[in-house]
Amino acid sequence: MSGGVDSSVAAALLVEQGHEVVGVTMKTFCYSETPDHSKTCCGLDGISDAKRVAAALGIPHYVFDVEDAFDRDVIDDFVTQYAQGKTPNPCVRCNGYTKFRDLLSRGRSLGCDVIASGHYVQIEHTHSQSRILRGHDAQKDQSYFLWALPHTMLKSLLFPVGNLTKEQVRDHAQAQGLVNANKPESQEICFVPTGDYRDLLRERLGEPHPALQTGHLVRRSGEIIGEHNGYAGFTIGQRKGLGGGSPEPMFVLSIIPDTREVVVGTRAELFDDIVIISGLNWLGEPIEDGTETLVQLRYRAPTVLARVSHERNQIVLRLKEAQAAVTPGQSAVLFDQENRCLIGGGTIVSAHSSD
Amino acid sequence: MKAVYLDHAATTPIRNEVREAMEPYLSESFGNPSSLHRWGREASAALEDARATVAEALGAHSREIYFTRGGTESDNLAILGCCGFMTTHEKRLTLVVSVIEHSAVLDPAKLVTEQQGIDLVTLSVSQDGILDQEPIRLALESGPTVVSLMWVNNETGLVFPVPEISSLVNELGGTIHTDAVQAVGKIPVNVRESSVHLLTASGHKIYGPKSTGILFVRSGVDLVPLVHGGGQEQTLRAGTEDVAGAVGFACSLQLAVEEQQQLCKRLTALRSVLERSLLEIIPGLRINVQNANRASHISSIAIDDIDGEDLLAALDVEGIAASGGSACESGSTQTSHVITALYGEETSTATVRFSLGCETTEQEIEQTIIKLTRIVTRLRKLGAAS
Repeated sequence: MSGGVDSSVAAALLVEQGHEVVGVTMKTFCYSETPDHSKTCCGLDGISDAKRVAAALGIPHYVFDVEDAFDRDVIDDFVTQYAQGKTPNPCVRCNGYTKFRDLLSRGRSLGCDVIASGHYVQIEHTHSQSRILRGHDAQKDQSYFLWALPHTMLKSLLFPVGNLTKEQVRDHAQAQGLVNANKPESQEICFVPTGDYRDLLRERLGEPHPALQTGHLVRRSGEIIGEHNGYAGFTIGQRKGLGGGSPEPMFVLSIIPDTREVVVGTRAELFDDIVIISGLNWLGEPIEDGTETLVQLRYRAPTVLARVSHERNQIVLRLKEAQAAVTPGQSAVLFDQENRCLIGGGTIVSAHSSD
Repeated sequence: MKAVYLDHAATTPIRNEVREAMEPYLSESFGNPSSLHRWGREASAALEDARATVAEALGAHSREIYFTRGGTESDNLAILGCCGFMTTHEKRLTLVVSVIEHSAVLDPAKLVTEQQGIDLVTLSVSQDGILDQEPIRLALESGPTVVSLMWVNNETGLVFPVPEISSLVNELGGTIHTDAVQAVGKIPVNVRESSVHLLTASGHKIYGPKSTGILFVRSGVDLVPLVHGGGQEQTLRAGTEDVAGAVGFACSLQLAVEEQQQLCKRLTALRSVLERSLLEIIPGLRINVQNANRASHISSIAIDDIDGEDLLAALDVEGIAASGGSACESGSTQTSHVITALYGEETSTATVRFSLGCETTEQEIEQTIIKLTRIVTRLRKLGAAS
């Protein structure tokens, strides 16, 4: 229970369904060290909102301090990825490690069998298997963030709001008189309270780190066309205004940590159709090597058909249509041909064009 | 399943006699004791009656009793007020505390040390609960000294020999404060017999209202106030008095002192059942400072190979209220400074404090034994599996 409306309604629904429910808020980092914590979902306001909701629902509520594990599994990875010129997705890490795996093991010590969350995804349990399906509300669907869950956990999960729309969730919260019924959505990264992740990088990496040093802006040809003040501040596809005014808009194409170069180019140069991924995780039976399935390369992006194959110790996705701004560090998430069932995913290592 | 409340060292409910005594001062007799009219007189009379009751229960004079906002404020007033006054008259001052004091003493002690250049001496305590008293004598012989020692430790129930140390301090011309928050109603507490200069007591640990308490200040001991304003409480604690709170506190204290011996006998028996059974059933379990002189209401138990946070939550799910070290530190998983001081860092050991009260029954103790055993078995099994 983050203190937000989704997990609160999830808890309320479970209580209505007659489950014996225990509310838990994970304290993921030290809020006292941050001057402005009110905006983030799991800050102290979040904890007190979760407590108030739990009390209103008549369920116990505990705060589990998971700072050390979160720091190790999520924040460290986040910093390392940026240092390597990638754009990490900490929510995927958190879901894969802290939020479900660690919580389930803590939950077992309380005698709990199942972990439920307020994610907008659906889960289908049959006697032989459990499958995660996209959320009913396409606008809110969060299946993209869940590909890294250990597949053995699926049978122990419930997503009570997955078949509702956000509006229905808010209505339900209002009907129940929950204190956070109208609480705004949290958007920023929960451990970056200043809103600028570069503050965190400066703190963790130390100022002289190459990722935060000035470097050249170059074209693919190697031509130097400007300066930047640290490649960690860039992500692939980001539009880069260039001093002096260039004839057409320029975009970040790639980041080269070794030389601290940020490569920019035209929109046409952004498109890739071959994607290498790592850490492939299947949530059910793996699909046969070389077969096609749907892949989603960004949160909220449309899916594309891709052939998944192992080639020389690498996992390669050959996209049917080239996609713009395929970003190392982000997730390539695999869905079935009907674009309904989450079947697995991996982390994008690199991308290039077959042309 | 009836819930079992075994966290009386954290707080207690207000008992009926106390509630009834307070009631008039929450409604019709609402006056400000400083007012000259009949409402004021009525309030003032009630306040002074309460003060007299408190004084009598503790063996003090009425004018030596100062009502405060509770134990923490009294401790702060004692340390900051006493050191604050003395540093205006003395070049050098030593403050002696024990390593297992409540943070309401340790934090102000740290503050005066940093701000006023006072020498701080921290006494160690052995695993058997023996306080190292030697540095007290050394400090007293070397110059002006203030000693602050809790009478009963809130996390372990350990009793310090306050009257004995107090004689020494008096003999060598020092000043001694004792935090008796967990002692009142649990062991005999008398300021005259123990000859302490300053004593802290709190209402909500003895079935009185929260945010009530007193500081006993022996005649002739000077303090500087922390709260300034309208000159209430002989200028030591400004602010309109909480008459209902003072009345409630006095009533709870009087009853606690009256019933102390009887309660102590009952709780000693109950606790001994709890501890004996647990030691017998659960391997890898230790009663902290078991063989030391302990107040009868607290049992501090160390259990190997489980996580403390998990244990407390699992107990709560089963309807048993207990706490880790002290309730003040909940929400944080930091190991208690008290347990660490006694036993060092124990990373895979959980500490749980059960604290018994008037309404604790034999059945509740039995239930606790059964459930704790079950939970420890489960947690150890899960721990071994992961």
